[in-house]
Amino acid sequence: MNKIIPRLLIAGYFSIFIIIIVGLGWAWHTYREAPDQPIAYSHNKHINFVGLECTHCHAYADRALMPGIPPLQTCMECHENVATDRPEIIKLTAYWNKKEPVPWINVNYLPPHVYFTHKRHVKRGFECAECHGDIAHMDKVRQVKSFRMGWCVTCHRANNGPTDCWTCHK
Amino acid sequence: MQRRDFLKILGIATGSGVITSCGVKKGAEKLIPHVIPPNIEILPGLYTIMKTTCTECPVHCGMQAKIVEKVVNDRRMRFPVKLDGNPDHPVNHGKMCIRGQASLTRLYHPDRLQQPLMRDDAGKLTETTWDDALQKIAAELAKQTPKKHAFLSGRTTGAMSNLIDNFCKQLNIERLPEYEVYSYATLREANRILFGHADLPTYNIDNANYLLTIGADVIETFGNPLQQAAHISEAKEKAHLHWVHCEPHVSLTGLQAHARLNILPGTELYLLLYLLQELIKDNRQYAARLPMEIRGTLPSITSTLVREKTGIDISQIDGVFKGLREAQHPMLIFGGVSAQQETGLACAIVAGLIQWVTGMTDNAIDFAQSANFANVGNLDDLDKLARLLQVKNVGVLFISKTNPVDKHQFAYYMRENLKSADLVVGMTDFLPEQTDDYDIILPLSHPLESWDEIESRRGISSYVQPVLEPLHDTLPEGDILLKLMQLRSSSKTSATDYKSWLDTRWQQQLGKSGADEFAKTAFIAKQTMRISVQLQVRNTGNLLQNLTLPPATNGTVLFVTPSLKAFDGRSDVLPLIKEIPDPLTTITFDSWIAISEAQAKKLKLKDGDIVSLTTGDKAISTLPVKIQPMLTVNVLMVQRHMLDTFALAVNPATGESNGVIDNIKIEKTASSLKLAIMSGSLSQQGRGVIPRPDHRGHAHERVSLYKDHIHPDYQWTMVIDMEKCIGCSACVASCYVENNVGLVGRSEHMKGREMSWIRIEPYYDDGYAHFQPMLCQHCEFAPCESVCPVYAPYHNPEGLNGQVYNRCIGTRYCSNNCPYKVRRFNWQAHPWTTPMDRGLNPQMWARPKGVMEKCTFCIQRIREAKDYAKDEDRKVRDGEVVPACAQTCPTNAITFGNILDENSKVYQLVHSDRVYRVHEHLGTEPSVYYLMKEDGNLGKEHG
Repeated sequence: MNKIIPRLLIAGYFSIFIIIIVGLGWAWHTYREAPDQPIAYSHNKHINFVGLECTHCHAYADRALMPGIPPLQTCMECHENVATDRPEIIKLTAYWNKKEPVPWINVNYLPPHVYFTHKRHVKRGFECAECHGDIAHMDKVRQVKSFRMGWCVTCHRANNGPTDCWTCHK
Repeated sequence: MQRRDFLKILGIATGSGVITSCGVKKGAEKLIPHVIPPNIEILPGLYTIMKTTCTECPVHCGMQAKIVEKVVNDRRMRFPVKLDGNPDHPVNHGKMCIRGQASLTRLYHPDRLQQPLMRDDAGKLTETTWDDALQKIAAELAKQTPKKHAFLSGRTTGAMSNLIDNFCKQLNIERLPEYEVYSYATLREANRILFGHADLPTYNIDNANYLLTIGADVIETFGNPLQQAAHISEAKEKAHLHWVHCEPHVSLTGLQAHARLNILPGTELYLLLYLLQELIKDNRQYAARLPMEIRGTLPSITSTLVREKTGIDISQIDGVFKGLREAQHPMLIFGGVSAQQETGLACAIVAGLIQWVTGMTDNAIDFAQSANFANVGNLDDLDKLARLLQVKNVGVLFISKTNPVDKHQFAYYMRENLKSADLVVGMTDFLPEQTDDYDIILPLSHPLESWDEIESRRGISSYVQPVLEPLHDTLPEGDILLKLMQLRSSSKTSATDYKSWLDTRWQQQLGKSGADEFAKTAFIAKQTMRISVQLQVRNTGNLLQNLTLPPATNGTVLFVTPSLKAFDGRSDVLPLIKEIPDPLTTITFDSWIAISEAQAKKLKLKDGDIVSLTTGDKAISTLPVKIQPMLTVNVLMVQRHMLDTFALAVNPATGESNGVIDNIKIEKTASSLKLAIMSGSLSQQGRGVIPRPDHRGHAHERVSLYKDHIHPDYQWTMVIDMEKCIGCSACVASCYVENNVGLVGRSEHMKGREMSWIRIEPYYDDGYAHFQPMLCQHCEFAPCESVCPVYAPYHNPEGLNGQVYNRCIGTRYCSNNCPYKVRRFNWQAHPWTTPMDRGLNPQMWARPKGVMEKCTFCIQRIREAKDYAKDEDRKVRDGEVVPACAQTCPTNAITFGNILDENSKVYQLVHSDRVYRVHEHLGTEPSVYYLMKEDGNLGKEHG
């Protein structure tokens, strides 16, 4: 009987750690989880059902540092007429009518002291999916790689890329 | 594993996990797309180039702006982040001066006027709307009154000048002669008398092999300094130019000439007359070009007289005479402080006669390509306005982009009388010093936000286009005038905005294809016929008849000069200009009076002691002194914008304000000010920073514990030619803007914490002055690399001394160990306040607090060139990488390239016999090579 209280205390003490670890795991999961975008745009639908290429919207991926977010006009080329009754498209049309840009939330983030060029990587023949994951099957885009320096360097070493600091650090 | 160890590990793991997970940001940054793609496509993360025209000074160089897209207030907008010269423009050929480079900080200046201001009933200037302000002006213009309305502006050319004409004609306003501080009134008057052209011609020096400049600061502010500097550099290479500068004070121009003649103040006329007389005596052809009517009026000057008066040794004067006589293409330029004195006009006439007899006016001096000062008046015109105001005869007075209340003797009355106008409307971009003078102040858009067409010089029209949306609630001057015209006369149809007004003008003048071409090239250079000038014998003779030889100047003389940094004072507001040291003294923020060593000794003055200057009963100024080496004993110097006085006399013959005040009394006050002097010493202290020929080649054999570096493809190298470098500091400004170098302010400068990555070091030793650009030397065996505990400085495979900013922990060991003192520490976070942050170059990180930084040889430009080379699967070609300093250098003194390429320009220059490196004996093997002056850094004999 008198041993129950200390055992409970010990069990409680350890379960606190377990809760913390589980909690951290969950937090880590949500950190990586896709943010809610102002319009629930689905890459899955546009790529697998409509059949668009990545570069249809991200037109600069092979020409510039950043791939570019399509202007609203590109969306409206189709959605002037297509699926205009859906709630997300009604939101889109509202932005268009106000001539306001959609404030998309950035998913893949690099710090400002990093020089990264999509162009070089695309020209070298890397598929978008190698860093961005299987976006084609994502309804909600999330970050799948860490985008930390170690991850970059591992890939650079494996592919004989430059590893001079000033290749990327600016 | 023990239970205790398990618990310890578990505890540490959870603790550190909790701590590190705090502050993890979710990617909340927004990605803002365009709604409709703009017609100017800017690739994301890259820049595009838009051509326009610099308006910081009256030269109007062609300019191109690097434009990037940034997200501001959830909008994707474009902003210029760097200004460079337009390489095709005939005025500046891709080069920009210190002021042009810094003019980007005028656009982003937080103190720019952002809204119209109007005097309310209580007499206070308060913010108002454009509608109210313009309505008020229109109502005042509509009043039935016998009073005159008047329009006074700074110098305008091209389309704006025409629009002002239209505006004044339509609204019955008198357009006054324009007011420009440095209007070259004396020179223009002399050229009118001599040749019938009241103009400042273009001086083509590129073919000259002997150049004599008297007073004219040809590489600083006089005429077209960029072109003159480039020409001098070109002539040195092509024609072995020998350049002699004659001046009564000390200027950067004088110190850069091959020889400098120190003339006694006010005696230039003796020298010029003597030279003219000797040239005519010596050469019959010269004599034949000068009719007897003129020759007869010239007083005879003996060699003893000229030596006695000018204080120059006769052998030196004869050297100049021989130079002019024997050179195939001699050249003489007269102007600057020597023209801004009582004898200025007479001197300019005699100088013009020398130019005429030697035939310079037939080839090198081009009146067809002259600067257009046709609308510009002089101080007599301002005096007329002041008198008109005095009799209360002015209704609405517009004052646009000028300040009539300046430092000349009429200004005091002008200020008194401005109050008597019914309505004084100021159009400006910054709040004027004396806001009392104005009833309405209209904020002007920056030229980077406006359309315009400017005449750079006669025959060259330059295009001004907006490269960003207006940052504030401002309007361009053209739009203001057109709006007022609309308000006043609704029946007449005219353009509603300046752009459509310009479009109509361009359609009429150039046609459709011409207008398109203009927009593409951003300039039109019309074919100009050379004007073959003829000497106007009667006018010239009349003037020379009354020629009197000036008596010696009395006592101490104060020279009031234009400033390399601030010009006539207009660029002094630029935050970047204040950060950059004056090349002669390395003073950054302060105002000072330059005093000679002997005078300072006599009066027991040291740097920073405040003196008060008076002449007669007039107080001139109270300023700290700075001892200026090489200055003549009784000469003082001050830059015009530093002066707070109405003491500048007006030359009655030309209406130009004098730049000389004589009979100065210096009185030491009790107080002194610690000046912001960046240089530790103006002497090399015998350390041989700039070595003499016999110091070279004494590198010790290097013993090193470290392995040699291997450079497989590139080894970047910079060569700076000291023969070409003129110390103009344009590179410094260019570097600041390109690399987001922090502006730290005076208090930090006083602690020696300036941030410039490249600086000009002046050294006055043994009677000669040297100006050495100093930047990170990218040493092959860099002392900074081996002392860093975290390997933030490292050597890269291309020979660059790299610095990884986010690895740096701020020990500053590297800076301590750097023999060149070129590393800069961020002692504080730089407040890039809005809108200054819009001008940050996204190609470069704005370094945070606690990080060491330095020149990178513009790594972002190297990276860019390598990227394009890789697209074509080749190596970077020679000349493809141009660092910001080299790009803007007016004289092409800086060359950059890959020394491993034996065909590269740097390879050839490094193997020149003039080459040296700074502190070679240290064995650091810098990648920056310098080329000695042609004379081996010894300084030529005078003359």
